[in-house]
Amino acid sequence: MPLFMSLLLVLAIASTAAAGPLDAPGAPQALVCSACHGFAGQSQSNTMPIIAGIAPAYFKKAIQDYAAGKRSSPEMEPYAKMVLQFGVDDVAAYFAAQARTPSPIKVDPAAAERGRAAAVQCTLCHGPSGKGDPSKGVPDLTGQPPGYLRNQMLLFKADRRSPGDEQLKAVKALMRTISDEQIADLAAYWSSVR
Amino acid sequence: MKASTRREFLRTSGSGLAVLAAGCAPTVSDFAQKTGRRVVVIGGGWGGATAAKYVRLADPSIEVVLLEPNKEFVSCPFSNLVLSGVRSIESITFGYGRLRDHGVRVLHQMATAIEPEARRVRVGDGYLPYDRLIVSPGVEFQWEQVEGLAAAQDRVLHAWKAGPQTVELAKQLQSMADGGVFVLTIPPAAYRCPPGPYERTCQVAWYLKNNKPKSKLIVLDANPNLVSKAALFRAAWASYPNIEYRASNKVVKVDPGAREVTTEVGDKVKYDVLNLIPPQRAGTIAVTADLVGADKRWCEVNHLTYESVKHKNIHVIGDSTIGLPVPKSGNIANAMGKICAVAVVSLLNDKPVPPMAPGNTCYSWVSDREAIAVVNSYKLEGGKVVQIEQKLTPGQSEMWAQNAVGWANGIWQDMLG
Repeated sequence: MPLFMSLLLVLAIASTAAAGPLDAPGAPQALVCSACHGFAGQSQSNTMPIIAGIAPAYFKKAIQDYAAGKRSSPEMEPYAKMVLQFGVDDVAAYFAAQARTPSPIKVDPAAAERGRAAAVQCTLCHGPSGKGDPSKGVPDLTGQPPGYLRNQMLLFKADRRSPGDEQLKAVKALMRTISDEQIADLAAYWSSVR
Repeated sequence: MKASTRREFLRTSGSGLAVLAAGCAPTVSDFAQKTGRRVVVIGGGWGGATAAKYVRLADPSIEVVLLEPNKEFVSCPFSNLVLSGVRSIESITFGYGRLRDHGVRVLHQMATAIEPEARRVRVGDGYLPYDRLIVSPGVEFQWEQVEGLAAAQDRVLHAWKAGPQTVELAKQLQSMADGGVFVLTIPPAAYRCPPGPYERTCQVAWYLKNNKPKSKLIVLDANPNLVSKAALFRAAWASYPNIEYRASNKVVKVDPGAREVTTEVGDKVKYDVLNLIPPQRAGTIAVTADLVGADKRWCEVNHLTYESVKHKNIHVIGDSTIGLPVPKSGNIANAMGKICAVAVVSLLNDKPVPPMAPGNTCYSWVSDREAIAVVNSYKLEGGKVVQIEQKLTPGQSEMWAQNAVGWANGIWQDMLG
């Protein structure tokens, strides 16, 4: 097909396009999140989690816990209140519907290899693949940025994430048995799992 | 496409098609005629670059032309770290290439006038017609507010628009003799980045403490107290006895020959290196196009659509705006860029504009490795943006600094990636 015909076709398709990527309920309200969490929740940075493809119940609990100050974060508390204001269910549904691609942050292969050997202790709850169990509120660890995974494990270990949360008792007890160095290795491993 | 075929294509095709090919810089004449719907964006900073990208993301059938004279974007956030040598200017400099991949037509030229009735922007001798215009011109300095500054503006550095002045000020700091006096002057609010001067105070003080221990930093603040994160900065300054902070010291005169500034009450302060941050107003095009209010400084907008209250079909975002309870920050400009893009696309498609509000995440580096933060969230109430909550970090830490890096990498990607 001649090039100009192709171009005309592309233009014709574009101009008759139906719903755009930002037309879904919750999509405009989720745009404020993209500054840190990336477009459509696909975080490009080391410390901000990927929230594309996140289970809606897990997302909602996180937002509610941040807003109530149970999960302490000066960054997330104001934003969580904002999400509740604009409708958490729509925003949760929007992020759940986004395809998730692994973090672009590279990990040290040696650290990931050491983490692999130690990772069996995570699989009791997160499953052999690390993909978690949405029905039990257990998140998918794979492909998350290593900095985020490491920080969360350290927060669990110091009981600084949602103190008193019954659901997190087991993971906190486990983290207290793991050295900070091995936590970094586990973070590198699960980040590298596809 | 083979090279010969590609050359053939470029030679035989019309100019309108030729500019579609990679590597051909478009010119104003390529845009003199408007075929479909077009949004023109003035200014490729935090607000404008974001808006240009998100109009294309929201509706790829709309043509977007971005006018930005600079070939590269240099981030103001993190630029204070260039002064202390903690980061390089290269690490905060980015190209506009990825915006082109989104279909944004980037023209590295300056908009010289806006004709609201004709719906066109003047660029040099040519015109760009638009359906809707997004103006994101940042700030301009009010040189005339400080006696002697207009004549000395090439020697007295502001370094308040990241770029060559940032590098030059870092050089002046490095070449200052140990025992020298660095004077930083802060203009009256409102100005770009409320905590920025206090972060700069930390970075200069940290550098001096570690490299020129006999030197002193005198901060002359026109405001009665620190404008932002006051308690957190004061706690951080406890580590820097080399800071001499003087509130309510508005600088009204500079004499580069005598290396001296004069405050409103007539105090004269000698310096070896001077960083004078001048008072500010909206970018020049906003003033010449009559988008500013009675104060002749800032632009009032509709809080849902960011359309100017003065001219139809022209939207204003970023530091140039006034009337919303938000700081003049890069994060706010980025949020406004997205909200305005969705509003403009909705209006062009005759759809209702979804209610959205900005948010602000603002980190400040208090040393080479520790940071503090303030976070604000907002909602719409009765058609106006109102604050939901402001939260500060309980102190300074390396973890906030890590999050600052995560934030910067994330938001640079959100604007330009």
